[in-house]
Amino acid sequence: MPGWKTLFPVDLAEEGRLSRREFGRFMALVATGFSAGIGYLALRKRPLDGAPEPAAVPVEVKVCRAEELTPGNSFLFTYRNPQDRCILINTRQGWRAYRQTCTHLGCAVRWDGKGLECPCHNGYFEVERGFPIQGPPTRPLSRLAVELRADGWLWVRGDLPKPGPEAA
Amino acid sequence: MKSNLTGAALAVILLIVLIQAYLFETVLSAVLDGQRGQLPGALAVSALLSAVALFLAFKAPGLDRRP
Repeated sequence: MPGWKTLFPVDLAEEGRLSRREFGRFMALVATGFSAGIGYLALRKRPLDGAPEPAAVPVEVKVCRAEELTPGNSFLFTYRNPQDRCILINTRQGWRAYRQTCTHLGCAVRWDGKGLECPCHNGYFEVERGFPIQGPPTRPLSRLAVELRADGWLWVRGDLPKPGPEAA
Repeated sequence: MKSNLTGAALAVILLIVLIQAYLFETVLSAVLDGQRGQLPGALAVSALLSAVALFLAFKAPGLDRRP
């Protein structure tokens, strides 16, 4: 027997065999890898590429005067930069502000008097909370808080909404 | 000594991998949305699931240890 065979006693027939235990261990390590990935996301201070920068100070934007926005109408505005197009709606129950980007593929949603519709794939969002009720979108629209101040102006504030694919 | 896993243990491990993949995808999309509030909870759940999978894979009694 060659000397290397005593040093490396590998049985070629058994070499390619993967036992159930070994497969289970590999899959458990894969599961641990996902945990490590989530841990990395939790520990990482800088935002990922494409993720919005966290605002150092709360962002507040003056949008329009309250009397300009009659019930049932909407007003388009940009929130923090030109890519963050948002829509302010007077719903008769109150004001609602959302990012105008559909959570499906990033088309601009529009107010049709009852809800927010995405013309690209017939997605539809209810106006009270921005939840999807029709079509392919599964996540609600990014929402901003609306405040009527004593001077009669409507202000919006909140986390910076997600940039849409058109901004990427 | 090598011992084989039971089918149930392997099924649980595979289920955990599926849950972890879904959890990671959900957490990643939330982080890309700028929402980091759910990261600590997701990390705790994920670590717990990984601990269960690792225990089953490395410490669970095998088929060959039956008397």
